[in-house]
Amino acid sequence: MSIPLEHVIILASLLFAMGLGCTVAWRSNVIMMLIGIEIMLNAVMLVFVGASARWGVADGQLFALLIMALTSAEVSLALAMVVYLHRRKKTVNTDVFDSMKG
Amino acid sequence: MKLYLAIMLLLPLAGGLTSALAGRLLPRRLLEFLICATVWGGFVCAALAAASYTAPLTVNLAPWITAFDLGAPLSLYLDPLSLSLAVMVTFVCGLIHIYSVFYMAEEGDYPRFFALLNLFVFAMLTLLLAENLPLLYLGWEGVGFCSYLLIGFWYQDKANADAGRKAFITTRIGDTALVIGIAWLFQLFGTFSMVQLNGMAFLIPGGVVTAIGVLFLIGAMGKSAQVPLQVWLPDAMAGPTPVSAMIHAATMVTAGVYLLARMFPFFGGSAVVTSAIAVTGGITAFYGASCAVAQRDLKRVLAFSTISQIGYMMLGVGAGAITAATFHLLVHAFFKALLFLGAGCVITAMHHEQDIFKMGGLRRSLPVTFWCFLAGSACLAGIPLTGGFFSKDSIIGALWLKGVPLYQALYVLALITALLTSFYSFRLVYLVFGGETNAHIHGSRELKVMELVLVPLALLGLCGGVLDLPGYLGGGFLGHFFANLAGGKAAEAPQATEIVLQAIAGALALAGLAAAHVAFSGKARAKRIAEADNPSALTSFLFHAWHFDDLYRLLFIRPYAALSGFLWQRMDEGVIDDSLDRLAQGVGATGTWFGRWTAGRISLYIVSFAAGGAAILGYLAWVTLS
Amino acid sequence: METIVFYILAAVTLVGTVLAITARQGVHAIVYLVTSFFALALIFYLLGAPMVASFEVIIYAGAIMVLFLFVIMMLDLGKPEKIQTPKLYDWCPAILLLVVITGSMGVLASRAATPLNAFAGISVQEFSFTLFKRYGAAIEIISMQLLFALVGALYLGRRR
Repeated sequence: MSIPLEHVIILASLLFAMGLGCTVAWRSNVIMMLIGIEIMLNAVMLVFVGASARWGVADGQLFALLIMALTSAEVSLALAMVVYLHRRKKTVNTDVFDSMKG
Repeated sequence: MKLYLAIMLLLPLAGGLTSALAGRLLPRRLLEFLICATVWGGFVCAALAAASYTAPLTVNLAPWITAFDLGAPLSLYLDPLSLSLAVMVTFVCGLIHIYSVFYMAEEGDYPRFFALLNLFVFAMLTLLLAENLPLLYLGWEGVGFCSYLLIGFWYQDKANADAGRKAFITTRIGDTALVIGIAWLFQLFGTFSMVQLNGMAFLIPGGVVTAIGVLFLIGAMGKSAQVPLQVWLPDAMAGPTPVSAMIHAATMVTAGVYLLARMFPFFGGSAVVTSAIAVTGGITAFYGASCAVAQRDLKRVLAFSTISQIGYMMLGVGAGAITAATFHLLVHAFFKALLFLGAGCVITAMHHEQDIFKMGGLRRSLPVTFWCFLAGSACLAGIPLTGGFFSKDSIIGALWLKGVPLYQALYVLALITALLTSFYSFRLVYLVFGGETNAHIHGSRELKVMELVLVPLALLGLCGGVLDLPGYLGGGFLGHFFANLAGGKAAEAPQATEIVLQAIAGALALAGLAAAHVAFSGKARAKRIAEADNPSALTSFLFHAWHFDDLYRLLFIRPYAALSGFLWQRMDEGVIDDSLDRLAQGVGATGTWFGRWTAGRISLYIVSFAAGGAAILGYLAWVTLS
Repeated sequence: METIVFYILAAVTLVGTVLAITARQGVHAIVYLVTSFFALALIFYLLGAPMVASFEVIIYAGAIMVLFLFVIMMLDLGKPEKIQTPKLYDWCPAILLLVVITGSMGVLASRAATPLNAFAGISVQEFSFTLFKRYGAAIEIISMQLLFALVGALYLGRRR
């Protein structure tokens, strides 16, 4: 075990940035946006697990597990919503859904 | 004694409050009876107080203002001056109350009118009987307030409301000076009691006495309509005629004279103050008489004559003849109330026509009014042996007896004024009652009663002289009564001098009568009426009251209006409002601009959110590095 | 040895992710992502978290990604080519963000590169003990959240 925590965090931040970039760039496809969110959540889990290994306590891993449960709930709802919206407008382009305009 | 004074004050107050609060609920007859009864009750109390009067006394009714060393209890002071005036005020006001019940018989808003009349009597009595300056000031402002409301009684007409405001604001100038004087006195002596103050003038430098005396004089100028604060009184005739009679002729306007007479022991030692009072009075007397000569409105003639007669009283105070001034004040109250009430009868009979050039021939249709009015005019003119003759002469005589060039000049001025007074008094009589009838007379039962009220006033005015007959006729009651009062003892003149002085004054009065007879009787009357529409320059100048109103408009009102306009349009609207508007517009525009951010597109929100997060991260990194 | 494996896995993860987010078709993206997640699961294992690693494989790579696949297939988006892919212009903010975030995190993390302590990993027993003893309330809340998500998904998904 000679992996520096800093390298783990750099890997996680790269992953997070990619996920964020995916979410920002793929506005034409809501499913790709959700995938970006999954990538970001994985990056966060990686930080938690790395920190757990750094200090040798189980809490970080536990939070990774909780994030996973949370993600499954979020994904199920989000995908249900995607199905619902697609049924209404026959598209997955997020720019079409602008009823929140103030 | 305490009981009499308390009841005298409380009765009008109770009547006024009843009328104000429950006037609508009571039957009209009952209310009318009630308000007259309160004033007559006050008169009875005053008479009883006079009957049991022995020596000046102070009556402490209740504590009023008490804070640290500032104390102003509700205490009353009764001496010959206040007692005689209280009797006069309650009597004249009582008669005028009866008169106004009939005069206002067709007025719908009578509870307000009666409430104000009664409150006025209360305030006036407070003013007269007050022992300390704050209580006097309470009455002073109370009469001013009632006067303001009564002048503008028919407030639906803008001119009347404006006249009320003019009176209020003009007198306010004087009141401010009075308040400053009162505060200064308190700062110097630590007491408000007039009895104590009058004995303490020698404790302070003469210059300060002079300054305070001048402040009090300015206060009296405002209330008593003396030059240069006289402009409100002619306009105050916009009120109902009984109000003019009661407030602007008989009682309230004499408050300034009363104040100066009351405080005379304080500043009597300052020659500057007494000279200033005398000069003010002399100028005002002449000014009022000269303006009255050219007026066309019946009530305005009487208003200017009031200004003139109060000028005489001020002359008397200035000459140190308090007895003479008070004597004239009392007699003037009778005959001026008489003249105003007579004018009210004439105006009622003439269907509210007030232009004397359109009247005429009333001596046959209104005989009672004619004879009473004639008696009042004779008093005003100072025809020998009437009350006005004796009272006015005692003032003029006092001026001569001072023996100082300034006072002798004023003596000549007063004589000229007496001539003018006689002239305009009879001009009025000839124009209103002489000539042929040219108008239908509106007779009614009310008018008959109103005429009856004039009779006792006419008798009192004619016989008022017995109050204080000159020495060669056996001496007067007032002179003995006032003998103990400071300044009450007038200089005794040799009888021969006195008779000569009175003969001069009487001759001038008769000369004025003759001049009026030549100018306004018979055929000359018609000629004067024809001339009235094309007045000469002098007549026009006098008709416009020496253009004082225009002068003040030019000096004060225009610059003030310009300043107000500038502050309103440039400062308030231009700077304050405009900057606020600009600010609001700027905020609104910024809000609209930012509002475009909420485009409803999730992608935009995510980018914004991510940019915010990136900014925070960047900041943290920068902090960590540096 | 472990270090080298870690770097290899990290490279696999990054490459998989880059391919996933730039894929033209949703199905391809999912497959790349599953690859990436497998590598990530191994990294978890390397970091002494066997439980998380196994859940990563089972739940993430197994269940959630399959859920995505299902939805992509169910929506029947016609020809996948019709969905417009991000232009280079669309990637600009993304790349900018990537530079800022990685730069910042790099700065923050590279202060002192200390290797992790020698440590044998956390046993399943210890993990479970912490989970159910200390975080019992969190388990309850998470389970309720899953229930709500179930109800919500049912509500949204029903045909009207």
